[in-house]
Amino acid sequence: MKKSMYKKFQKIAGKKNCFVNPEELSGYCFDAFAKSNAFPEIVVAPESPECIPEIITLCNEENLAIVTRGAGTNLSGGTLPFDGSCVLLTTKLNKIKEINKADHYAVVEAGVVTADIANAAASAGLFYPPDPGSMNISTIGGNVAENAGGLRGLKYGVTKDYLMGLTLFDAEANKVIGGGRTVKQVTGFNLPGLFAGSEGLLGIMAEFILKLIPPPESSKSMLVTYNDILKACDTVSQIIAANILPATMELMDNFTIRTVEEATEIGLPVDADALLLLEIDGHHGQVEDEFDKVKSICKKNNGHLKIAEDEDSKNKIWEARRKALSSLARLKPTLILEDATVPRSKISSMMSSIMDISRKYEITIGTFGHAGDGNLHPTILTDKRDKDEMLRVEKAVDDIFSVALSLGGTLSGEHGIGTAKSKYLEMEYGSGTVKFMKNLKRGVDIKNVLNPGKMGL
Amino acid sequence: MEDLIKELKELEELVIRCMKCGTCQAHCPLYKKDFFEQSVARGKISMIESVYEGNLEDASRILKYIDYCLMCGRCKNNCPSGVKTDEIFLRAKSALRKVEKLPSWGTFVLKIVMEKPELLSKLSPLMHMGLKFGSKQVKADVFKPLFGLYSRNVASIAKKSFSDAYAGFHKAENEKFSVIFYPGCAVNYIYKHWGETIVKLLNKLDVSVYVPDVNKCCGIPAATLGDMQLYAKMVNENRQLFKNFDADYVITCCPTCAYGLFDMGEKVAEETFDKIEMDILVFLKEVIGLSPKQLTLEKIALHIPCHYDHSKDTFLKDLIKGISDNFYELKDQSCCGFGGTFNIKNYNSSKQIVKNKSEEIKTAEVEKLFTPCPGCAMQLTDGIIREGGEAEVLHPVELIYRGLIDSECFRR
Ligand SMILES: Cc1cc2nc3c(=O)[nH]c(=O)nc-3n(C[C@H](O)[C@H](O)[C@H](O)COP(=O)(O)OP(=O)(O)OC[C@H]3O[C@@H](n4cnc5c(N)ncnc54)[C@H](O)[C@@H]3O)c2cc1C
Ligand code: SF4
Ligand code: SF4
Repeated sequence: MKKSMYKKFQKIAGKKNCFVNPEELSGYCFDAFAKSNAFPEIVVAPESPECIPEIITLCNEENLAIVTRGAGTNLSGGTLPFDGSCVLLTTKLNKIKEINKADHYAVVEAGVVTADIANAAASAGLFYPPDPGSMNISTIGGNVAENAGGLRGLKYGVTKDYLMGLTLFDAEANKVIGGGRTVKQVTGFNLPGLFAGSEGLLGIMAEFILKLIPPPESSKSMLVTYNDILKACDTVSQIIAANILPATMELMDNFTIRTVEEATEIGLPVDADALLLLEIDGHHGQVEDEFDKVKSICKKNNGHLKIAEDEDSKNKIWEARRKALSSLARLKPTLILEDATVPRSKISSMMSSIMDISRKYEITIGTFGHAGDGNLHPTILTDKRDKDEMLRVEKAVDDIFSVALSLGGTLSGEHGIGTAKSKYLEMEYGSGTVKFMKNLKRGVDIKNVLNPGKMGL
Repeated sequence: MEDLIKELKELEELVIRCMKCGTCQAHCPLYKKDFFEQSVARGKISMIESVYEGNLEDASRILKYIDYCLMCGRCKNNCPSGVKTDEIFLRAKSALRKVEKLPSWGTFVLKIVMEKPELLSKLSPLMHMGLKFGSKQVKADVFKPLFGLYSRNVASIAKKSFSDAYAGFHKAENEKFSVIFYPGCAVNYIYKHWGETIVKLLNKLDVSVYVPDVNKCCGIPAATLGDMQLYAKMVNENRQLFKNFDADYVITCCPTCAYGLFDMGEKVAEETFDKIEMDILVFLKEVIGLSPKQLTLEKIALHIPCHYDHSKDTFLKDLIKGISDNFYELKDQSCCGFGGTFNIKNYNSSKQIVKNKSEEIKTAEVEKLFTPCPGCAMQLTDGIIREGGEAEVLHPVELIYRGLIDSECFRR
């Protein structure tokens, strides 16, 4: 990078917040999906949202594309940089500006870590439900841009359901405001809706107004053990068919159970073919009532149910689930995490197809996920240096997608498209949709400077 | 340069396990202060990879970033993929040191502290004098230098080192066990009274204690400065030394020394180790069966050292909770920010990290802060004084011994 240009960045964001040394840049050439060989030209980490429009203007002048990056934990390659890009790091925009107890909302900057929001809300006696497995690391900006889900999606919804308003800067550095502090607001387009899942392509988000809700009065967590995973899947469909909405219904297959236990020594039943982790919450009476019904459905499916008696055992159950992905990663050098999602009545068919695919291509797949949302995470364990196996993996992934689509499902429930799945976008939605998205993108970002190429756009 | 790249490539088996999940961000004291990838394990690992993948031309320049690390092990302990970050960083530094020279203070540390402990022992009266004259006393036994680069509050240096004063065999009257006590440099020169207390306490509990003539450094400063050969040499020499004594246990009171000699030590040593290594507190509990209760009415708190054997964290917490009914659980469970040689190289960062915890200790009006590590004790003493707090920083054995002396309040 030219010295004069570097100086301009430094003037905007401060010397200590701009990086151009290759060693430093190499810290930003990856995310939790992959690592690229290309480095950005510069990394800049503004400490105040006011710097963002200045950075956008400068990038426009200097012909640099902008890759916005939060914690870099996305699983779809959405933050991978390329030659001639500027990584705009939001991690220093980390102020929680307001927790409003009267009107039940929070105002936060884009780089605040998700768990910090949940904790601040809890300290004020309120509840921020979205809880992605990465909540101790991920930023709220990344959550909104990926429309992240979590364990509580079944009953409480995902990030978009808590996004009341936002402030962002567009490709021309205009300040754009969407939504607001009121429960109802129909002034103009529903911009919060558009920006949930926008993956950094439509604007750089600086601040959010998030809905908080009163916390449930009581809750019950339980662990149900099965000796047949398909029975566990049936349990999930039947609970929902009985009009019960647990806060969470998470599934783990035997392979995942053993791996998590090895990594965490939490005390999981390693002989079980599958585990369901359930949480019911609400008013005391309702919890008891639903619990009875859940208990009998589990029993009917030969599930052995155990309740977490205290806070400690409750935490252990959720700890086990949160560690699923990362524990699988211990086994092999390369991990490929899929995110295909089906209507939840189809979860059993999806599961048995995954098992077939694993056998057919002779690859190791550990499956866990948000069964209650129909969102399984078949996780392929491999070694990227093994060319032959990688070919089989690629075919297996294609098969997983085809099955999901044939069951009326989708490519991605929550991890997004990024660079990882852009080639499949058309397969799910057809060329008309891709064209519409392209037009939308070009309409607000004529020169294609915001995260160009991601989602194939 | 080619050798260097080859040596870094040898780390691939360890490095490739990192799936870039970012979990280490949530635990790294430096990331939580800086918010930059190059501060945390994930970014450092990516740098090493980038070198052998051919994407970084001047490999030697990554040393500065790998070296900016407390070696607190929090990334390793919390890494879901089990990445051995400590081994990666130490081996990478050792490779990189071959092309990047050490700063002069580093050479001094390696030459004198490691290789000539007798000389350092002889120098300690001088340092003791120097500190007395060139400093202002801010608290009992804590001084603030009037001159020099730093404004750090330091515990005074012993006139006579612990080993000089205590070398030899301290036989217990009704000997039930005999142990070797390994003081480590910080106890040898600064927290000498911890060593004294441990010897006396053990003797009272029917344990005979050998104290070696010379305290040989555990070698960790050499490892963190990138000299793995010297580190291995120190570990081997210490292990050899332990063989000279007819004892069952080696007792330590510095978790970093224990990590250096036994944990990481196991990976570098050629010399075998034929005894059982134990932290003093674990020994008191598991071998002697001691559960001290209610030794004070004061408000107390516990700082768990990063290198403490974390399978013993619950035990440690229960032990301290038992000492006073007025136990305050610190919200800030972070590293103290000392990091040995890190503190010398990056005093400002180190200061920033201890600030939050020191403030909390002050606001909560903690009167006694316990920590079973001399490095943490030094750092927290400095931090607390800087924030104007009153808490006294102690090793738990100090109170346990006092309790044993006035044994009314002591149950075995
Ligand atoms: C261990 C682990 C568990 C996970 N569990 C879940 C889970 O349960 N559910 C789930 O949904 N995801 C999960 N994820 C994926 C990931 O954590 C989420 O996608 C998260 O929302 C990403 O946040 P981030 O701050 O890391 O964003 P990044 O990875 O930095 O960025 C993600 C995308 O958002 C864009 N972006 C970031 N900030 C902004 C901004 N301010 N303005 C505009 N665009 C922006 C980026 O350009 C990029 O396209 C998991 C990941 C890991 C590693
Ligand atoms: S926690 Fe472990 S696997 Fe995850 S990024 Fe850090 S070092 Fe890599
Ligand atoms: S050892 Fe500690 S300071 Fe170093 S990278 Fe790991 S967590 Fe951060």
